[in-house]
Amino acid sequence: MGRTINVWSRLGVWALVSLIAVGTVFAGGGAEEPAEERDTLTIAIGAEPESLDPVNMTSAPAATVSEHVVERMIYMEEDGSLTPMIATSWEANADSTVWTFEIRQGVTFHDGEPLNAAAVKANLDRFIDPEVGAAYAFLLGTVVSIDAIGEHTLQLTLSQPFAPILAHLSHSFIGIVSPAQIEGLGPEDTFDIPIGTGPYRMTEWSRGERITLEVNEDFYGNVPAIPNVVFNFIPESSALLVALETGEADAIMRVPPQDIARLEDDPNLEVVFAESVRTIYIGFNNMREPFNDPLVRRALNHAIDKQAIVDGLFDGVFTVADAPIVPAVFGHASVGPYEYDPERARELLAEAGFPDGLSMTFHHPTGRYLLDATVAEAVQDMLGEVGVEVTLETREWSSYLDFTSQPPDQAEYDAFMLGWGTVTLDADYGLYALLHSRQWNPNGNNRGFYRNERVDALLDEARVETDRVRREELYAEAIQNIWDDSPWIYLYNQGQINANHVDVEGLIHHPLENLSAWDAFFSE
Amino acid sequence: MSSEPIVHETKRGESAPRAGHSEFRTVIRHLLRNRGAVIGLIIIGLFTLAALFAPILAPHDPTETSLTNRLRPADAEHWMGTDELGRDLLSRMLYGSRISLGIGLISVAIGTGLGVPLGAVSGYLGGRFDIVVQRFIDIMIAFPGILLAIVIVTVLGVGVENVMIATGIASVPIYARLVRGSVLAAKEQSYVTAARAAGIGHASIIFRHILPNCLAPIIVQSTFQIATSILWAAGLGFLGLGAQAPTPEWGAILSNGRDYIRSAHHLTTYPGLAILCMVLGFNLVGDGLRDALDPKMR
Amino acid sequence: MYQYIVRRLFLTIPVVLGVSIIVFSIIRMLPGDPARALAGVQATPEFIEQTRVRYGLDQPLHIQYGRFMAGLVTGDLGTSTFSRRPVTTEIAERFPRTLTLASISLLIATILGVSAGIVSATKRNSWFDNASMLVALVGVAAPVFWMALMLQLLFSVHLRWLPATGMGSVAHLILPSITLGMASAALMARITRSSMLDVLKQDFITTARSKGLAERIVVYKHALKNALIPVVTVLGLQFGILLGGAVLTETVFAWPGVGRLLVDAILRRDYPVVQGTVMLLAFLFVIINLTVDVIYAFLDPRIHYQGKEEG
Repeated sequence: MGRTINVWSRLGVWALVSLIAVGTVFAGGGAEEPAEERDTLTIAIGAEPESLDPVNMTSAPAATVSEHVVERMIYMEEDGSLTPMIATSWEANADSTVWTFEIRQGVTFHDGEPLNAAAVKANLDRFIDPEVGAAYAFLLGTVVSIDAIGEHTLQLTLSQPFAPILAHLSHSFIGIVSPAQIEGLGPEDTFDIPIGTGPYRMTEWSRGERITLEVNEDFYGNVPAIPNVVFNFIPESSALLVALETGEADAIMRVPPQDIARLEDDPNLEVVFAESVRTIYIGFNNMREPFNDPLVRRALNHAIDKQAIVDGLFDGVFTVADAPIVPAVFGHASVGPYEYDPERARELLAEAGFPDGLSMTFHHPTGRYLLDATVAEAVQDMLGEVGVEVTLETREWSSYLDFTSQPPDQAEYDAFMLGWGTVTLDADYGLYALLHSRQWNPNGNNRGFYRNERVDALLDEARVETDRVRREELYAEAIQNIWDDSPWIYLYNQGQINANHVDVEGLIHHPLENLSAWDAFFSE
Repeated sequence: MSSEPIVHETKRGESAPRAGHSEFRTVIRHLLRNRGAVIGLIIIGLFTLAALFAPILAPHDPTETSLTNRLRPADAEHWMGTDELGRDLLSRMLYGSRISLGIGLISVAIGTGLGVPLGAVSGYLGGRFDIVVQRFIDIMIAFPGILLAIVIVTVLGVGVENVMIATGIASVPIYARLVRGSVLAAKEQSYVTAARAAGIGHASIIFRHILPNCLAPIIVQSTFQIATSILWAAGLGFLGLGAQAPTPEWGAILSNGRDYIRSAHHLTTYPGLAILCMVLGFNLVGDGLRDALDPKMR
Repeated sequence: MYQYIVRRLFLTIPVVLGVSIIVFSIIRMLPGDPARALAGVQATPEFIEQTRVRYGLDQPLHIQYGRFMAGLVTGDLGTSTFSRRPVTTEIAERFPRTLTLASISLLIATILGVSAGIVSATKRNSWFDNASMLVALVGVAAPVFWMALMLQLLFSVHLRWLPATGMGSVAHLILPSITLGMASAALMARITRSSMLDVLKQDFITTARSKGLAERIVVYKHALKNALIPVVTVLGLQFGILLGGAVLTETVFAWPGVGRLLVDAILRRDYPVVQGTVMLLAFLFVIINLTVDVIYAFLDPRIHYQGKEEG
C-alpha cells in the first residue's frame, strides 16, 4: 500500500508537470496562427437554430444557416426584388387566383434525387398540412391546392387573389428539401440535416457547438469560392467578440452596440451596418383595463424617450419608428414619431382617470433582440417617471412566444415587447398579421387584440388589390389610423450590426437578417 | 465556487459541553484570538453596516437610470462607475448587500427550522421513523451541489423569495444529517438517561436537554451555510433563475455585466469581489468558530 | 464487509426511486397543464391532446408514474419540445463532453490540492503553507462564474493564449477545467493538510521518527497512506459536485454539455429535457457515492460495518 502511494504521488508530479507543459505548448500555439491554405469561413452566430426542418423553423439563425443548403422557389434580393431560385418563371391567371410556376430543370438535390414539380409539391403539401402544424403555415394560408401539372410545371390555386403571394413564397422557411427525406415522415417526425439544392451541403451538426457545410460542386449557379463554411454558436456576446478578435471567427452577427467603437479601431476588422426590416414595439393588451383606453396608450407613447434609447443604448445607429413598419417596406407611410413629453403623458393619464398613475406588468424577451432586456429596464424607469409603476417579467424566447399567444380570455399580460420583421418587404406581412382583428390569438400574431373596423377593411382591400398605387394609398390610410389608435408603444427600427475580418469579401448582409456566404472570398 | 456545503470537519459523536455564560465568554475569547476569524468578523460587520444603512450610504437611487451616463468608469460622482443603464453601481452594490445577506440568513433560518427538528426527532426516536427520514435525506442529497436548488426554483419560479426558499430547502438534509448524528451520540450520555429515568417527556428531552448540547456544530454549519447560500443565490442569479431586474442582486448584476466585460469591466469585477469577500468572511468566521467551540483545539 | 456492500446496494434502490419520484413530480407541480408543458411552444390544441395521451397524463397518477419508470428503464425520456428530438439523443450527444470536463477538472483538482496539502502540512507555517491556504480560502469563496470571466479576460482577451469558449482542442479544455476544479482543489488542499497534520501527530509516526527513519519516508510511506483516506471520500463527492457545478461553468464557457443543456431547457421550459438531465445527474451522483462507499470499505478496514449506516 505504501508503495502504491509512493508511485502514485510520483505519478501526480509527473502529470502536473506534463499538464503545465501541454498548457504552455497550447498557449504558445494559440498565439500565432500558422499560415495555412484558407479554405474555411467561420461565422459565429449567437443562437443555435432550433431545427432546420422547414416545418419547425421559427428563428433568424435557422434561416441564415438553412439558406446555404436549402432553396426556396423564389429569392428576394437585398432591394426587395424577386428573382428565380427553384422556380425559373411564373405567371398568374386573369384574377390572380391560379399561379403557374416553371421549375428549374436538370437540378438534383444533394442526395441525387431530381428536382421536379412533384418534389416541390410534396414539400409544400407538408408545409400546409394542418396535422404537421408548421409554425409558418399561415404564409400559404390562401393556397387551396398544389398540383404538379407537368414534370416541371407546378400550379398553385388560391382561395382569393393575394397580392403578396410571390413574396411569401420567397420566405426562408418555405425551403424545398429532397422528397426522399420527407417521404414517409409522420406528422410529428422531423430530420436533423436538411438535403437541399443549395450552393452548400450540410455535413455535420454538432449540437450546441457548430454546423459544418461544404461546397456543392454540382450547384447549378455560381459555385462558391470558399470550400467550407462553419457556423459556430456562441451565446455570450462578449465571447462572440473575443472569437472575432482572436480570429476564431471570420465574421460575427449582432455586434453589441457598446463594442462598435473598439472594433472600428481595429484595422483588421470591419463593422457592417446593414438595414433590417424589423420594428421593435411594445404591444398593449388592448382588451385589458386600462389599456383598452386609447388615452392611456397614447400617454405611454409620450412617456418614452425613444431618441434617448436609440442614442444612449444603440449609439445612434438605429432609427426611431415613424410607423408600425420600416421605411424599406412597400406601403410604408411616415406618420410619427410620438413626441417625448412626460408632462403631456401625465395630463393624458389624468384625463383617462389616473391622476396618480397606475401599475402594470411588462413582459419582455432576453437576448432575442439587441439589448432587449436593457431597453425594457430603460422603459420601466421612464414609465416610472410619469407615475406608471412597471414590473418586468422575462421569459426565454420560445416560452415567451407561447405566453403571448394565448386567446383573449386567457391572455395574462398587460404589455409585451416584440420585434416583427416584415420579411416579405410588403406591408401586408407587417400590418395584416399583427393588427387585423382576424389575426387575434390564437389565429395569428395580433397578440394585443387590436381591432379597428376601418383598418380591417383597408387591410382586406389592400391584400386583394393588384394596383400598386391604390395599395399604397390604402396602406397609408390604415397606418394613420393605427398610429392614432396607438395599440403599441412604437419604439425603433432595429438595424443589423455585423462585423468581419477585412480580408473576407463578398458577404451578403441581407436586410432579412441573414448573413450569406455563397459569394464570399478571401482577399490577399 | 464551491457549490457544495463546506464539509464540516466536526466529527460525529463529539458533543460540545453546554454553552453557559462563562462558556460563551471562553468561546468568544478564543474566537477573537484567531486572526482569520477576526478578519472574517470585520468583513461581515462591514457588509452588515452597508446593508443596514444602504439608504443613507447610497449616493444615488439604485434603480434610477440615466441613458446619457452609461458604462462610465469610476469618477468622483460615481465611485464604482455606472452600469449599462447609467445607474450608480456603488448604490446598487450597497443595496445588493441587503439582498445577499438576507438570502443567506433567511435560507439558513429555513434550513435549520426544518432540518434541525427533523434530524433531532429522527435520531432520538430511531426505528422506523428514523429509517424513513434517513431515506428521505438520502434522496435530497442525491442531487449534487446547486442542482437541488435549481430544481426547486424550476418548480417555484424565479425571484428573490423563491431563491431563499430553494437554497433553504436544499440545506435541510445537511442539517438533518448533522443533528441526527449529534443526537445519536448525546442519546447515550448519562444526563439523557437520567432525564429519561426521571420521566421527562420526549419533546422536552430533545429540545431542552439534547439540542442545546448540539448547538456548536449547528452554529458552525450555519456560518458555512450562509456562505454557501450566498454563492448558490448568486449562481442562480447568474443563470437568470434568481433575482429579476431591476433588483440589484450581485449575481444578476454580474450576469448583466458579462456583455460589457470589454467596455466596462467594473460591472463584473466589483460584484464578483463583493461575493468573494462576503463568502470569505463567513467561511473565516466558520473556521474560527469551529476551532473555538472544539475544546480539543484550545 | 461484503455484507455491508450488499446492504449498501439495497439502500440505493429507495434513493433512486425517490429521485425518480421527484423528477416525475417536477412537471406535475408546475402551475398549469402538464400536457401543455410537455407539448411545448407552438403546440396546437390537438397536439396537446395527443401529448396528453402519449404521456398518459389522462391516466391516474400511479399509472403515469409506472409509464414514466418504464420509459426510464427503456431509455425513452420523451421528446424535446424545442428541437423535437428524443431527449435520450440530446443527452447522449452532450454527456460525454460534461464527463470529460468533470474528469479533467477532478484530475487537476486532485493533483494540485493533494500536493499543496502535503507540502503545507509538512512545512507547516512556512510561506508556502500560508500562501496556499490563503489561495485555498479564496478558491472556495470565489464564485465559479466570476472566476471563469476573470480567467477569460486575462488568458483569452488580453494574453490571447487560450480560446475563450467552445470546444475542439485540448486548449479549449484548459480554462473550463481549471475554473471548475478550483474550488475542489482548494477543498482538497485543506482536507489533505488537516488530515496530514492529524496523522503526523499520531504515535506511530513519532515512533517511526524516533527509529531514525528519514523524514521523507515517514511522510510518504507512513503518514500519507493514512492521511489520504478522508481525501478519497471527498474525491467521489467532489466528482458528483463537479457534475453539478458544470451547470455554471458550461454556461460561461459555452461548453455544450448537459449542464448547459439543463439551463437552456429550464429557460425554454423544455420540461422533458429538464427531467432527463436532472434524472441523469442525480442518478450518477448516487452511483458515485455508492462506489466511494464501497472503495472506502476496502480502504479502511478499521471501520465496523455491523450495525453502522453508510460511511
